[in-house]
Amino acid sequence: MRALGSVGLLLSVASFALPLHAQKLAVVADHIYTMAPGTQGGSGIILISEGKIEAVTSGTNLKPPSGYQVLRAAYVTPGLIDVDTSAGISGAYNIPQDQDEDEASDPNTADVRSLDSFNPNEILLKYVNRFGVTTIQSAPGPRNPIAGRAGIFKTVGPESPSATADQLAIRPESAMIFNLGDTPKSTYAGAHKPPMTRMKTAEIIRRALTDAAAYQQKWEKWKKDGSDATKLPTRDARLEALVPVVSGVMPAVFNVYRADDIITAIRIGNEFHLKYMLASVTEGYLVRDEIRKAAVPCLVGPIMQRPESPQTANATYEIAALLEQAGIPIALISGYEGYVPKNRVLLFEAGIAAANGLGMEKALRAVTIDAAQILGIQDRVGSLITGKDADVVLFDGDPFEYTSHVLGVIVSGQVSYQKK
Amino acid sequence: MLSQGIMKTLLSVVLSAVLFVVVARVAGQEDPIHGTLVVRGAKIYPVSGPPIEHGVLVVANGKIVAVGAEGKIPVPAGAVVQDATGKVLMPGIVDSHSHIGIDPNPTVADSGDANEMTGPIEPSLRALDAIDPADPNIRMATAGGVTTANILPGSGNVMGGQSAYVKLRGNTIEQMLIPGTIGGMKMANGTNPKGYGRRDQAPMTRMEEAALARGIYEKAQQYQEKWNAYKKALAAGDKTAKEPDRDLGLDAVVEILEGKRTVHNHSHRADDIMTVLRLSEEFHYRVVVHHGSEACQVANELAKRHVPVSYTMVDSPGGKLETINIDMSCPGILEKAGVKVAFNTDDPITPSRLLLRQAALGVRGGMSQEAALKGLTIYPAEMLDLGNRVGTLEPGKDADFIILSGEPFSIYTHVLETWIEGQRVFDRSNPRDLHYATGGFAVASHYPSLQGGGN
Repeated sequence: MRALGSVGLLLSVASFALPLHAQKLAVVADHIYTMAPGTQGGSGIILISEGKIEAVTSGTNLKPPSGYQVLRAAYVTPGLIDVDTSAGISGAYNIPQDQDEDEASDPNTADVRSLDSFNPNEILLKYVNRFGVTTIQSAPGPRNPIAGRAGIFKTVGPESPSATADQLAIRPESAMIFNLGDTPKSTYAGAHKPPMTRMKTAEIIRRALTDAAAYQQKWEKWKKDGSDATKLPTRDARLEALVPVVSGVMPAVFNVYRADDIITAIRIGNEFHLKYMLASVTEGYLVRDEIRKAAVPCLVGPIMQRPESPQTANATYEIAALLEQAGIPIALISGYEGYVPKNRVLLFEAGIAAANGLGMEKALRAVTIDAAQILGIQDRVGSLITGKDADVVLFDGDPFEYTSHVLGVIVSGQVSYQKK
Repeated sequence: MLSQGIMKTLLSVVLSAVLFVVVARVAGQEDPIHGTLVVRGAKIYPVSGPPIEHGVLVVANGKIVAVGAEGKIPVPAGAVVQDATGKVLMPGIVDSHSHIGIDPNPTVADSGDANEMTGPIEPSLRALDAIDPADPNIRMATAGGVTTANILPGSGNVMGGQSAYVKLRGNTIEQMLIPGTIGGMKMANGTNPKGYGRRDQAPMTRMEEAALARGIYEKAQQYQEKWNAYKKALAAGDKTAKEPDRDLGLDAVVEILEGKRTVHNHSHRADDIMTVLRLSEEFHYRVVVHHGSEACQVANELAKRHVPVSYTMVDSPGGKLETINIDMSCPGILEKAGVKVAFNTDDPITPSRLLLRQAALGVRGGMSQEAALKGLTIYPAEMLDLGNRVGTLEPGKDADFIILSGEPFSIYTHVLETWIEGQRVFDRSNPRDLHYATGGFAVASHYPSLQGGGN
């Protein structure tokens, strides 16, 4: 087995009770994956101060400076970034009281935001943090053609456990979520409301984007004509939410499974000149050339997605590798689950991708630096370099091995989890 | 009971007639192996004993002839020899809780046949009447190294019906069923059977679930007494004795009371597990606790009664209230308390392709590697009363084995080959089989080739 490189180091960490608010930390490790440009996996030391990475020094037998709490590990990586999950807004109990991811009362709910559903005390946030996930894009669920706006959050905050959603937010409105395929149809067909077909789902989205562009023009014209308060155009929250999307400021994320739905997303994205991405991308391997030509990043997964539903029947564990090998920028996701398990764990999804053609280092990229770049938050997180948030994960072996353990997780310079 | 006798006879006739055809069809791309097969060079985990570094496995007529270290056991002349140097060989995996074939892939309206939600007590239902041997899920399971499975009705009913003990080969359920087995009985308590409450029907509470279970066992006891009295009268030469009315469901429940049929009881919460134990003691039947999400909270109660747990390892807690305390440490805690633990897929809840992974996560949570290996092989085999037939690599047992690219509990390990009774049913190097392991089998002709060949 490749795991369990260094059991002794595990013990030295485990026996060490850290004060929660330790200001200065030194992480000493045999294999540091900084994910900064250059060779990965060398030994060294990471200094953390005031919530940020202070310095990363490579080498063996380095002595931590005095005044730093010392943590040791076999492997160290940046905090993992889950670019599409319902964690935080879709609770573990799976009862109406804690399910706030799908506002399935109208196929267009562009005006809603996950920020306003986000529960910082949700147990699944702490659960995924135990497996190294420190940043998530928490996205509205799969049921509405226009589902609303996602937000990017830390999973645990410096003020934990009392952090607010606003304090955890890196970007409170990060993307507009669109859903194609089977799910929006099955959501409304029972009530004989649109959409009942893929045609209608596409039409709902195209109509809304067309209206948003017209709405934007109307306001621009009003401003150009002197901003006459007596001629103020009527405000529309949904169209207003879509204006940054049609103007290419806010990314559109199309959640798509079947190859034809992927092509529909590309068709709409190109028609409206959107800055867009594809999520799930289950059958993306069948239309790799088209995705590459469209130059869209893919938020891929979950890798262990069940192939039970017709639109996911052709899911493959090799999806991440097949897209990456075609030159498509990828990041990995845990997505949305409706039953048991209620949430997937990004670390585990990335492991299956690593073992099915992607390889360890590329899988790690897809949940750290590449994920940060796709979300545009690489100035804050995604790699271990001086000045970035001190989001760090400590392992006792290869991070993706089944039998490895997360020894500790650091978020913004504070230890959020420590293995007992 | 009568039905059982007829079924057994039918089975043995059908099986002996078609076994060869089955093997040829399933293996598909290659001729079935006749005569003796020798697999040499692999590290062998016989499970019945310590690992053998450079092992040899000798197989003939679907059975294991010998297992041992290279040079220590005779290799018969004229055998087909397969070199597996650098690979790992272990018994075929036994999945003690699966819904493959009865919840087919893909699941669309009307295709799922696991839950007959028209009455909470359904002992006369048989999974074998709803299993589709052509379901791709079955081939996906062999791609994960599963060779034997307990295919069960779902958990929507207090008593959901009879399960089927099968080998994952064959084109009809008769070819899949393991000769001499009658299957188990699915029972469930806790959240799922309470679903009837949505229609204002019983059961709406856990109290009623237990009462319904107790009711059917009491009825079966009476039925059993009636039949015993009738048989006794017949034996005593009483020609006027009147044959009692037959009841298909009670026939099956009597088999539980007689110890011939094991109850496989879906149960998550600790108090629900205690209810399972209470009922099984009251009516003296053999039971396996399935899922067991909170089993570690009552580990000593299970150990004391020698009740094993068929555990479902899922990646996160929740999805429903009774699974909110799911934790990876549970199998290890059960092991330490002396409870035998099997890992199941509950496919489609977890994928059969990754059953090795579920046990590996048990190791991550604190279980020993030895117990985790047994939890994939001999322990589930024992839970199905098949411990004398499968679950270890010992002479005389069925030649069900798998060849792995590396250690069983590494994420980087792939199942390379799966063999059932001396015939290969999965071969990762064959493109036709590969996509049952990776996914994408339905579009295999369009599937792009992976650079580097997929490790």
